[in-house]
Order: sequence, then structure tokens, then C-alpha cells
Amino acid sequence: MHRRQWMAALRTPVGAVAAGLVAVLVVLAIIGPAIWGDAAGTTDMGSINAPPSAENPLGTDALGRDILARVLVATRTSLGLALAATAIGVTIGLVLGTLPSVLGRRSGRAVVTLVNFLVAFPGLLLALFFAAIFGVGARGAVAAIGLASAPAFARLVQTLSATVAGRDYVAAARIAGVGRARLVGRHILPNIAEPLVVSATTGAGAALLAFAGLSFLGLGVQAPTYDWGRLLGEGLSHIYINPVAALAPGVAVVTAGLAFALFGEASAAALGLRATRAPVTPRPPVEGLAWAGGEDSDVGTPPEDVVLDVQNLTVAFGAGAGAVRAVDGVSLTIRRNEAVGLVGESGSGKSLTALSVAGLAPEPAVVAADRLHVNGCSVLGASDRQLATELGTSVAVVFQDPATSLNPSMRVGRQLAEVVEEHEGASRSAALAEAVQRLRSVRIPAAQRRATQFPYEFSGGMRQRAMIGMGLMGQPSLIVADEPTTALDVTVQRQVLRLLRDVQRETGAALLLISHDIAVVSQMCERVAVMYAGRIVEELPVSDLMNAAHPYTRALLASVPDMSVDLERELATIPGQPPEPARRPVGCAFAPRCAFADEQCTAEDPPLAELAAGRHAACWHPQTTVAVPEVAPSRMGGH
Amino acid sequence: MRSLTFRGVSVRFGHGSHAMTAVDGVDLEVPPGTVVGLVGESGSGKSTLARAAVGLVPPSSGTITLGDTEPGNPRRFAPRLARPRHIVASPQARRRRQPVQMVFQDPFSSLDPRMTIGESIAEALPRRRDRHAEVRRLLQLVDLDPGRSGDLPTGLSGGQRQRVALARAMAAEPEVVIADEITSALDVSVQGAMLNLIRDLQRAHGIGVLFISHNLAVVRYISDVIAVMYLGRIVEIGPAADLLSAPRHPYTRSLLAAVPRIGSTLDDESAADGGGWRADILDAGPPDPHQPPAGCRFHPRCPIGPLAFPERSDCIEVDPAADAPARPHRAACHYVTDAPADRSVGRT
Repeated sequence: MHRRQWMAALRTPVGAVAAGLVAVLVVLAIIGPAIWGDAAGTTDMGSINAPPSAENPLGTDALGRDILARVLVATRTSLGLALAATAIGVTIGLVLGTLPSVLGRRSGRAVVTLVNFLVAFPGLLLALFFAAIFGVGARGAVAAIGLASAPAFARLVQTLSATVAGRDYVAAARIAGVGRARLVGRHILPNIAEPLVVSATTGAGAALLAFAGLSFLGLGVQAPTYDWGRLLGEGLSHIYINPVAALAPGVAVVTAGLAFALFGEASAAALGLRATRAPVTPRPPVEGLAWAGGEDSDVGTPPEDVVLDVQNLTVAFGAGAGAVRAVDGVSLTIRRNEAVGLVGESGSGKSLTALSVAGLAPEPAVVAADRLHVNGCSVLGASDRQLATELGTSVAVVFQDPATSLNPSMRVGRQLAEVVEEHEGASRSAALAEAVQRLRSVRIPAAQRRATQFPYEFSGGMRQRAMIGMGLMGQPSLIVADEPTTALDVTVQRQVLRLLRDVQRETGAALLLISHDIAVVSQMCERVAVMYAGRIVEELPVSDLMNAAHPYTRALLASVPDMSVDLERELATIPGQPPEPARRPVGCAFAPRCAFADEQCTAEDPPLAELAAGRHAACWHPQTTVAVPEVAPSRMGGH
Repeated sequence: MRSLTFRGVSVRFGHGSHAMTAVDGVDLEVPPGTVVGLVGESGSGKSTLARAAVGLVPPSSGTITLGDTEPGNPRRFAPRLARPRHIVASPQARRRRQPVQMVFQDPFSSLDPRMTIGESIAEALPRRRDRHAEVRRLLQLVDLDPGRSGDLPTGLSGGQRQRVALARAMAAEPEVVIADEITSALDVSVQGAMLNLIRDLQRAHGIGVLFISHNLAVVRYISDVIAVMYLGRIVEIGPAADLLSAPRHPYTRSLLAAVPRIGSTLDDESAADGGGWRADILDAGPPDPHQPPAGCRFHPRCPIGPLAFPERSDCIEVDPAADAPARPHRAACHYVTDAPADRSVGRT
């Protein structure tokens, strides 16, 4: 189905070795008995327990049979029994694992308890127990190993099903009236199949080893049939006469076990690749990425009180011709005491811009700029150590989700104290006292007690305040807040915004506020920069927002319902979707969605030009009418 | 079309000292052809109420009925909801139309990634009619290209996925649709189109909608009636225009005051609210839902409660919910008369 990923996995060393080994084993299992069956069965009383010779490369056994032939012939039995045992384990595991989802709550819980109980026993112990019950022999051993591996598999199925069963699409199917058994078959099993296949493959390797062990102990395959474990047992009695006789089946067991394990690993890698890799799209070449190392040069000199100075920032993913510029030539300066908002839709590059400024761009991203200075220090050329010491104290970052930006297993006070210890070399107790002081300053009630609590004991707003407090530990000159209140309710949002503004005013720090909510930005900031498709398309004072020049800014403002929007009219919408970074059209990126676009717009990219003092727009047709224009009510699907 | 009615609905989670009452004695009606907006902060129980309505969580007391289906009627609706396992377990229920449908917040987790959007929609169709034609019709209904029914959700944007989720809900020919924060995961440019769409569908089909959102501007745009929830209870409910222009409960007023507006500053809302409310009282964090405050649940944060007026001890001692039906907007507040008569926010 997903041939490309499988081929990619095959090309890795692990994948190639696994595929090769499995192919050899399968071929041997199919043709082995037919070719070497006679040699393996022919007794030769003339050469009993003979050492390796030209005729018998691995010597002969107690009845003069060729050991090499026997090892090769035993492949079919060994693999067959291991796979049969795995099949039993997987089947029982699947049944036990999915029963809780199919049964009602009470009987489901009983099944879960049973599996928990069974998982507590070591697998080999169970296998020996079952072998004693079923009696000595291949059939008993298969049942024993199969049953012994079932609980672990059942537990895996249960855990994975429980995760999927909590997803909204399962809830939606339940609301639609889909029955429980169908729910398992249609929604749960297909979505957990991949890890199960991987687990079953590695389980087959384990079953092979377990089977060899049982046969070796005499509990598995009985004469006259033989598998590798039995050959190993026979060879071991003559190990001083002919060591190869014991080694050969041992090597076979190890090789086959390895083949299964590697095959499992390779399939896990292939399936994992599929889960993370985005569909490959053709990408236009990007010129001028030769400086992709991140060198910066001095272009002019910034005024004294400029805290953040960004000139021509580019963030690209991939290298060479396939590189995609997610942020493409952003320039921005923020002075002391100034708050600048960065607005745009998801995918516009606003978060990447913010992260790059803080030196936190995600790993594969290539960040380059003519200049990227915080407090006169370059973020780009800095080593990790410099970043940690200089940026760590001068830049504070507040992220969107306070639930994930604090370490859940560490007390809040300790997390804040760590910052002081790291940056100022303060003692543990002094740092903790400082942390409590900071929590108090961000208006967390009962700060002393709260400092000893874990993040889960904090409400969302309180966590975000703690995050702001944490940022303040290093006396920052720049605060980067990336959607700091998106996850919060309106009343809490206002509290956090007020706190952020008070902190900024008290410290005189510069603030870069990223938000999708223009109203929030208008409350906090003096200036707004609007991003679209990786570029700043308009920059203007907040007070001029209603007279925005760029059609995109105007459309954005018109599409947000506020508390005074006319209820009888349809909301204005922006037709279409923003372009993906890899598919930026020629000319103005907004042109395909713009009501004012003409030939020039689709041919030439408009530069960010100054319209008036402090006002810039990248548009060939900047709008000058006073009010936000009547956007025709259109109901467009996002085609 | 019938009304969806909640009568004294409570939902409790956990047992003993860990018990938490997420929804506490809610009375609410969603009449046919009406959009009821439900607002409140996270943890107020809005989503739990929604999940109870579609049978995803069982109410521990109270009834949820569709129409005037009384207990004793063999085709009664509520008992099936009270035991949601049986909604899906009984074979008769399976192919019967499920008249209350829900659209979820996150369009990225509400569609099965292994099923084409056509299959997802077809799953909700009540009868085995011409499924192909039905799926095409439903996709057109939500302004999607019917030719895309074979696409997997991965190829769709968030707004398009949410349209598919809406089409799936419409496939069941619902009488009531529960929309739980359906626009909060969408970009603002897409949000407007989604709101227009659900408003059109609601009007064209005469269905009732319970529209849950924390965004008051969105709720104002779409709702006929607005209910405000706080700590598991509805503290105020009324026609949208009335409630927004003359909010009675101090919590509603604090919510309205906190809505960010272009051209306002962070300071001026509370000042504009006339009361000279103390910011430190409003800034108190939400209380622990495991131990709701005695008396009025809002009193530890209330700007007109005992913190501002020490003589108002009845707020701490007497639960205002009991007399709520007699007050304007069924406001659960002893001092509703303190509400300002008029506010600038309204249906202009």
C-alpha cells in the first residue's frame, strides 16, 4: 500500500539485512526438506560422531547422519512451530485485548483484571507450566508458548485500543449509532494495526528462542522429528569431540531470532516514517540560499535603544533546490518599552519568526538573516553556550500551552529556581526564595505553598503566570509571547495580558506578541505587523488598524465577528486558502484571494514600501478609503 | 422536529472523596429551529453537558428528553441516553436514526484517519439508501466538492475537515445538533465561513442547535438564546439581545467586560462597566470544582458579593439557585437588581 516507505526501509542497513535473512530462511524452509531430506535421514554406521570432513562439512551425529543437512532441514520445523505459537498468542491476545471494548463496563473490567494478573507471571514460567499440563511434545510446546505470549500481547492491544477509543472519531461513530463490534473492527483495529504487526514480528523471534529452549530441555519436539533446539541438545553431548555439531544449530537459532527482531525493527521504522513524513510535494527552486550557514553581516547601525533588530530573516526547511522558505525576508525592529504584535493565520510563519528570534527554531530549520540581534548580540553566530548564557537571560519566552511548557514531574518552585541557579550561580535555598518572590510578583496567591506544588495542581491561567514569572527570573530585555492566552478563557486571558503588560512596563522590556487575535494585539501593542505566507505584508500603528492599506489586513479584520457585528448579514470570508510555503505563486502571494488583484499583482512581487511615517504595506494597490470596505458576503468552501 | 430538554441534569465523575460534580442540576431547553448558545470558562461543565446529550456520558440524575416523550413510552428517548452503552449495543438502535448529533472541537481528531471522508459520512446514514448519492448530496450541502468523497482526511485543511464533520452530523437527519467549540480550532478567516454555514443549515432545516463556545462574539452572532454556565450550573439564561444588553449576573457581566475589542485598552473595560469593580476580586482564580464554594458558587470572585460588601453574608450561606426561576434571566444571584439597566453591547 505504501510501497515508497517500505522501499526506503529496505535501503537502510537494518532493513536490507533483515530482508535478506528472512528471504534465506523462507527459501530454506520451503526447499530444505526436499533437497537435503534424504541426506539428513540416511544413517551411516560407518562414520558415527565423525568430525567435519569434505563429505560431512559439520560432521555426523550419533547415527552417522550429516549434521549440516539436518540443520538445514530443521529450518521448516523450527520456523513453522515458532510461527504457529505466535499465531496462537496473537489470536488469543487480540481477543482478550479487544473484549473490554466490546463487552459492557463490568465484564470488560473483569477481562482487564484477568490480563493484568496473567501479565504478572514470567513468560517462560507460564510456558513450562503449560508444557507440563499439555504433556511433552511439539503440540504441547506450541500451545504452551502461544498461551504464554498471549497476556503481554493482550495488554498491548488493550492499551492501544484504549488510546484510540478515547479519540473523537470513535465518539462520533458511537453517536452515529455504530455498534461496538463494528467500532472495534472499523475504527479501533485499523488504527492500532501497525504497532501490533511490529510487536507480533518481534514476538515470533522470541517464540523461536523459547521453542529452541523447550526442545533443548527435552520438553519440545520429540524424536524422530527434530528442530534446532533438539539438534543443539544432541550436539552438546559431543561438544568435546565435535564442537561444530552444537554450534551449528545454535548459530541457526541466533540468526533466525535476529532475522525476526531486525524485521520487526525495520517495519517499525518503515511504519514510523509513514506516520511522520508529510506527503512529498514538488518544490520550486530557491535561489540565494548559499549562505545557509547563518552568517550575518553589518548593514547600517541601529539606534541606541533598539532591543530586537531583525533584517531579512529567512527560515528555510531542506537544503539546495528543494529548500522551502517558511519565513521569507522578514525585517522587524523593536525598541525598549515597545510592544509589537505579529498577527497572521496558521502557517503564515509568525511562530517560526518568534522562535528564530529566541534562538529556538526547530532542528531541521535553516535560519539566516542579514542581521538578527538582541541587545546588540547576534543570535545567529552564537554557540549553544553563548545562547544559553546571553539569550537565556535577555530573552524570555512565553508559549501557547502552559500545560506542556512546564515540566510535569518537577515542583513549580524548583523549576523557577533552576533558572536563577543556572544563570546567576545562586545557592539552592537563595534561588528558591527568589522563585517564591517571582511567583508572588506574578500575583500567584499563597506563593510559598504554591511553589511546592506540581504544575498539574495549577489552573491554566496560573500556569501561564508561573511561565511569565519564570521568564522574569533572568531580567529579560525582550519578551517573546507566542499565543500566550489562546488556551485561556476570556477573564483569565485579560488577567494574563494585564500581567504581561505590567511586567513589560516595569522592566522596560521590549515585547513581541504573536497572536491570531487582532483585538488582543490591539490592546497590548503600539504597532502591528501582519504576516502572510512567510512575509510581513503590512506594518502599522494599532491606532491605524481600521484604515489598514493591505486588502489582506482589511479582510482579516472584517472576517472576525466582534460584539457589534450586524447579525442580519453573513460574516465576511476570505475565499480560498493561504498558499503552502512550497507553492507560493509568482507575484503577490495574496493575489489569488484578493478582490483588487490585477496583472501586475500576479506578475510582480510587491515590496514592503513606506506609505506614510510608520506605515508600510506590500501591495500594488494599497487601499485608502477610511472604513473597512464592505466585503461582499460570499460563502466559499475552502477549496 | 422536537425540543431537546434537560431537566435537573447532573453528571458526577468519580466516587467518594474524589467525586466531582461536573454538571449540577441543569435545566435547559433547545427548541426546534433555535440556536442556544452556551458560554462559560473551561471546567464549567459545558462540554460534559454536551456529551451527556448525545449519550457519551451518563447523567447521574435528571432526564434528557427529545420532545414530550414521557417515561413509560416504549420509544422514549431519555433512558437510552442515560445508559449510553445501550445506544450502540442494541441491534435495533444501531440502524435507527440518532436524532441528536454532535460536531467536535478538533477536526483533526474527529475523523478516522483510515477512512475516506465519504465512508465517514456514510457511516452516519440511517438507512441503506443510495449511499453514494447521499454522500454527494451531503458534501454539496457543506460546500465541498462531491468528487472528493474518496479523499482521506489527511489531504484536507482544518476548515474542510470541520465541514465533513458537519456533513456527517447532518447525515443522521438530526433534530438537534450539538456544536462543541466547532470554530475554536479554525483560523479566523475560515471561522466566519463555518459560522455562516451552520447558520444557513440550521435555518434551512429547522433544527435546534446547542452552540457551545467560549468566544462571546461568536455566540452573539449565532445564538437566539444565550445560557451562561459557571461551575456546573447555568447562572443566567435569556434571549441573546436581552442578555447581552442587560446582563443580570455579575459573572456574565465580568465575561462581557473581558471580551477583547479593537480600539479598547486592557484597563478601560472594567472602568466602562460602571461598577468600579475591584480587579483583585475578579482576578481570583477559578475555584476547585471538587469543592465548590458554599452558598453562591461565584461569591469568592464576585465583585458585588461579600468581598466587596461584607454585609452580604447571604451569598455565603444561601444558594441563589433555588429562587433563580423567579428572577429576570433566571439569574442565580441574590443581588440581580444591582445589574446596570443598559450596556453598550447589544444587537445593533
